[in-house]
Amino acid sequence: MATVLIVDDDPHPRLLYQEYLSDLGYTAIIAANGPEAVEIVTQGNVDVVILDIAMPGMDGIEVLSKLLDINSQLPVILNTAYGAYKEDFMTWAAEAYVTKSSNLGELRKQIEAALEKRGIQVPPQPPQE
Amino acid sequence: MALSREMQSALRGVLVMILAGGQGERLYPLTKRRAKPSVRFGGAYRMIDFTLSNSVNSGLKRIYVLTQFASTSLSRHIRRGWSGLLADDLDEFIEVLPPQRLTADRFYKGTADAIYQNLFVLQDERPERVLLLSGDHAYKLDYGDMLEHHVHTGAALTIACLEVPRESATQLGVAQCDEQSRIIGFEEKPEDPKPMPANPDMALVSMGVYLWDTKALAQEVATDVTARDTKHDFGRNIIPSMVERGLPVYAYIFRDKKVDKPAYWRDIGTLESYWAANMDLVNLVPEFDLYDGAWPIYTYRPQYPPAKTVHPDLTRVEDSLLCDGCIISGATLRRSILSPGVRVHRRANIDECVVMDDVDIGEDTKIRRTIVDEGVSVPSGYQIGYDLEADRKRFVVTDSGLVVVALGAVFD
Repeated sequence: MATVLIVDDDPHPRLLYQEYLSDLGYTAIIAANGPEAVEIVTQGNVDVVILDIAMPGMDGIEVLSKLLDINSQLPVILNTAYGAYKEDFMTWAAEAYVTKSSNLGELRKQIEAALEKRGIQVPPQPPQE
Repeated sequence: MALSREMQSALRGVLVMILAGGQGERLYPLTKRRAKPSVRFGGAYRMIDFTLSNSVNSGLKRIYVLTQFASTSLSRHIRRGWSGLLADDLDEFIEVLPPQRLTADRFYKGTADAIYQNLFVLQDERPERVLLLSGDHAYKLDYGDMLEHHVHTGAALTIACLEVPRESATQLGVAQCDEQSRIIGFEEKPEDPKPMPANPDMALVSMGVYLWDTKALAQEVATDVTARDTKHDFGRNIIPSMVERGLPVYAYIFRDKKVDKPAYWRDIGTLESYWAANMDLVNLVPEFDLYDGAWPIYTYRPQYPPAKTVHPDLTRVEDSLLCDGCIISGATLRRSILSPGVRVHRRANIDECVVMDDVDIGEDTKIRRTIVDEGVSVPSGYQIGYDLEADRKRFVVTDSGLVVVALGAVFD
């Protein structure tokens, strides 16, 4: 089963994404800051990372470089409320860019696309309610 | 050339990045203790001076030099020779940039990775365009002409290209162009280089001079870093991929307008090509003219007294370049280049040699087709370049029989 790592210093989106992705059939694990994320990715077994940019200490842009330095093939989806980051060259190595919103469809679409590109199985569609 | 206002403003928006981070294996042992761009060339210069002079003469004065190995000599040269030429207060600079290890904790995996790891520079500077250059080529190109071509074609990337006979293109990047100079095919070191449409005997090769729109550059290197099957190299991976994806990549064809033929350009990054390009300088009418007042080559010149020749009965100097501080006392020199501070003693015979700083050549020596590195003392009576088997035991001898006496060489 595909594993998604959610990195966000704010517990609310972290939990929201974790529940949503678990419901979709992913193994959703969380990290509250950059160093934790780096440690988890170093251990391996992460298929996709959802990464917040504005975090205290090691910000998402720095975390992105560190994660790609560990595994250059790792898809990292940047997730932030601030559109201005799109203009930052340092974010351009990310797999995709998703604006934070309560509509999680776009996030799901990007995760699925990243997995399909790498030949990793997307969890089967859950039954419609 | 009088530039339009539009071009003047376009020039101000260009940031120069010189890739000087290679190990220079092909030039070993000259690169034993110094980065390749810092190797002496033409007696008084260091390789990087040609690229830097091109930039400054073209009006491009915001320059980063990306280093990686043995950069002490290069940094010192730039500080002494170049930093003083530019005005910080006018936002002119030449900055030596060793790996910062901010983005990744590794050596540069290739030319594209070198830019990826320094994307923060582009983020800070926000130039409109980036001119990517190498520090080991000898040529005189007004990058302003290239920029004009780039602006008019609307290219994302413009590559300076040279027309060469097809058989000499196999070790270079070969571009195929349409009539509007748009590149429609690009192969690195092809076995069978594609000919130019108008002339089947010639091929168009990349000079390793790339003018980029900054966003296209950032996009390409950021995408390349996560790509599979890439050597992170502009010539091998990024350019062929951009051409394949139909992005606007154009060639700027480098010609000498006065005589309407391909202009002088040499990769001086191998021992053979380095020596041959040095020999180009001593010709009666050199193809590469160091005496052109309209295109000065700047460098750092150490403080030495003038060159001097004594013992007129024994001294004979033929088609040679002598730098400051040299003393030729009763020796014969033919087609040779002497860097500052070289002493050549009685009855020494120096033929087609490149001799670097502070070398001392003893009496009755005979040296031919040899590069002698800095500070070497050749003992009296010694012969180099005449018995290659013997030379091979002590020195580096190339396939064509060129001898290189390295720094700290031991004679017996």
